[in-house]
Amino acid sequence: MSDQRIFMNFDVTADSHNLAAYRDRGGYQAFEKALREQTPDDIQAEVDASGLRGRGGAGFPTGMKWSFVNKQAPVVYLCCNADEGEPGTFKDRWIFEHNPHQLIEGILLASYALRVRHAFVYIRGEFDLPLRRLREALQEAYDANLVGENVLDTDFSSDIIVHRGAGAYVCGEESSLLTSLEGFKAYPRNKPPFPAVKGLYQKPTIINNVETLATVPWIMTHGGAEYAKIGTEWNSGTRIFGISGHVNNPGLFEKEAGYSLKEIIFEDAGGIRGGKSLKAVIPGGSSTPILKADEIDTITLDAENLQKHGSMVGSGGVIVIGEGTCMVRLLQVLTRFYAHESCGQCTPCREGSALMNAIISRIIAGKGRSEDVERLEKTTKGIMGKTVCALGDAAAMPVQSFITKFRDEFDYFVEHGRSINDGRLEI
Amino acid sequence: MELKINNQIVEAEAGELLLQVALRNGVDIPHFCYHSCLSIAGNCRICLVKVEGQPKLAPSCNLIVAEGMEVSTDCPEVQEARRDVMQFILNDHPVDCGICDKAGECRLQEYQVKYGEAEPLSLEDKHPKPKFYDLSPRIQLDSERCILCSRCVRFTQEISGSKQLGIVERGHSARVERMDQKPFDDPYSDNVISLCPVGALLSKDFMYQSRVWYLEPVKSVCTGCARACSIQVWRRKQEWRFNSFGDELNKKVYRITPLENEAINGPWLCNKGFDMHRTMSRERALTPMVGGVEVSADAMIKAARKLVSGAQNPAIIISAQASNEELKAAQAALTDKFTVYTRKDYGPSHGEVLEDDFMICLDKNPNGDGVYRIFGRNVIDNPLEHDLVVVWGDNLRHEDVAGARLICLGSFASGREKDREVFVPISTLFERSGTFTNFEGVDNRFEQVFEKPSSVLHAADFFRRLSE
Repeated sequence: MSDQRIFMNFDVTADSHNLAAYRDRGGYQAFEKALREQTPDDIQAEVDASGLRGRGGAGFPTGMKWSFVNKQAPVVYLCCNADEGEPGTFKDRWIFEHNPHQLIEGILLASYALRVRHAFVYIRGEFDLPLRRLREALQEAYDANLVGENVLDTDFSSDIIVHRGAGAYVCGEESSLLTSLEGFKAYPRNKPPFPAVKGLYQKPTIINNVETLATVPWIMTHGGAEYAKIGTEWNSGTRIFGISGHVNNPGLFEKEAGYSLKEIIFEDAGGIRGGKSLKAVIPGGSSTPILKADEIDTITLDAENLQKHGSMVGSGGVIVIGEGTCMVRLLQVLTRFYAHESCGQCTPCREGSALMNAIISRIIAGKGRSEDVERLEKTTKGIMGKTVCALGDAAAMPVQSFITKFRDEFDYFVEHGRSINDGRLEI
Repeated sequence: MELKINNQIVEAEAGELLLQVALRNGVDIPHFCYHSCLSIAGNCRICLVKVEGQPKLAPSCNLIVAEGMEVSTDCPEVQEARRDVMQFILNDHPVDCGICDKAGECRLQEYQVKYGEAEPLSLEDKHPKPKFYDLSPRIQLDSERCILCSRCVRFTQEISGSKQLGIVERGHSARVERMDQKPFDDPYSDNVISLCPVGALLSKDFMYQSRVWYLEPVKSVCTGCARACSIQVWRRKQEWRFNSFGDELNKKVYRITPLENEAINGPWLCNKGFDMHRTMSRERALTPMVGGVEVSADAMIKAARKLVSGAQNPAIIISAQASNEELKAAQAALTDKFTVYTRKDYGPSHGEVLEDDFMICLDKNPNGDGVYRIFGRNVIDNPLEHDLVVVWGDNLRHEDVAGARLICLGSFASGREKDREVFVPISTLFERSGTFTNFEGVDNRFEQVFEKPSSVLHAADFFRRLSE
């Protein structure tokens, strides 16, 4: 296990986020070197070699995504997806707050590699300090001629435009992010065409997560091969995991991909609060299927292993659930969220997410019916794989996994009109 | 290229959508949001099909055909998906077909019978939304019936360009709404009524007038402007004739809808066209008159003949509302001593759109072009100096014909029938058949909807008998 850190490799102080501090840490050297000595294809080759996979949730190989763009296209856009809205996920926020220049350098390197003139950062509307930090950092970068016309007196010009979202979770979906950026209501688009072919303003567009882009400077400094050495065979590099829930020491931990889930909960995060035992874990943000405590022994935090166990690594937001938690109520929190955040464009998600929430809320109100759980199951089947974007699946997956794994709690609630856990959070 | 739909080999062009190919080949794929003239929304999800080798079902409205593609539109997986989507749509649909004007021509009804399941998925209370809500004095919106297919929204964005409609709110609360506080006063607004696949957008004019299955459409042509759009005139079916409520209901035009005609109007029509039946139900002039006295048709023709034969220098003003057949009959009847003038009998009424770059033409008569082809152009610019003028059509400017004796042919009451030397009541558009030539030179045929009243003459018959 390597201790290599890509993000959390410096002491956070009051000034550590500004340009001077970043330069002291070796910042912008990779960019300068790339600009003066390397071709765009060199960057593409290094990213390909690194095996970097998207950190937003789907885990698509970044190098492959970049290669889909037509290199001859007159206009290519780059969007940084900073609409970090997944419940349980708060990693991008740290990057904005403490190391915004690493992201800016990543955007610049990607812009250079993809021949992008205008890059966009779509930042979540609720982010306040992250937005201010990003704006400050961008101003510093513009002043230092790292962004703008003829960067560092070369032919390369780049502009980074910060767009603040208005608080819709669905904008984190790449195509609705583009629709929103264009000024329309954030409806996801039908695919194909994919954004790499027809994206923002119908031009080829690459959309990458904050963490993904912020990794690129490290890859260019140390080489893609070096990056590929960290982590597992198919999941290279480190990830920032956000641990929240009933743990003693919640927070962000940068670990290499393939780190043990048990270790991160019980050692790094200090175990369950109040000495209770673990009940369940949602391993990668609220939309990933839940894991029961007895399943997690062999689980490591990488896409292959989690997929084998019927879940996903998602965005790296680990939600830890201690004993005594009522899973019916917990599921209601999630279904309410998805019913509220469904954009309402396509039928299955619009109607299905609201229906699931209505059924669960009725169970919570003590008016459950014996066929409710079957109805929930049928609803999830009606949604999964039939919607325009992944939000439908994200809404249905937790419901499906909760009712399969905690069926007894649902049945008890329906039958007795109250929780098997006596309705109290005992933590 | 060739591909397989349900194991049948079909031909397709590159770049076509699977839904188009399937519909052309008689494979019925249900669809709500897809419309051939609008952009692809892909939001209703009822057109999902199974493509061999793809893990997920694909919406056929957004599926571009490929060589050798194998598609199934009725495998169990697809049937189940359709059933699920129908159940989802009906979750909050009020199913108030009993009081919905769309019943009988509603896609939701049709698909529920074909693809739906009898049992609802949801046991929850229906989600209340604005009901019977006026978008404009012409259109009523029922958000509970709306399935949010966004056809109407895309129509105002892409076809009429007014961008007056949009979908507000999110998720379950989403609903169609006007984008500003004004009424939905798009000159093409009524198209959204027939565009709506369910009963969410309804015409206030047709509201509760009749069940659609008692009605039948007759092909006709709008006389509102020189585009001469194809329309359907809806009358009561013969087998459902009322026997005890009087004949008016049997002779009533219930509504006008556009008739798809690639060459002229596509599937659209402007609001003036939708109001054709109102234009045609103005007060009629039904009796022939000579010198202000009601006479029989024979006596009236006799008087007219006498006037014509006695005239030294007669003239005729031709109507641009007349069909080509009538114009030819008139041409055959007129002798050389007649001077022929042409005019546009109808101009724009107050508040009407004069002209736009979509459909509405400045000339508010359907057959201006046909008149010019047959008689040439001879516009009245000075007051006429003739001893007899035959005036064909309504809206005469009296200063043009001051001092002349008049034979007037008109359908609608102007209140001055009694002042004419001879007044000839003629049939309206709905009472005759014929052809108009629109401003682009395209012929458009209209059929007779009702029998003419017995006291009224067809203009063609009048000219024929005049020359006998």
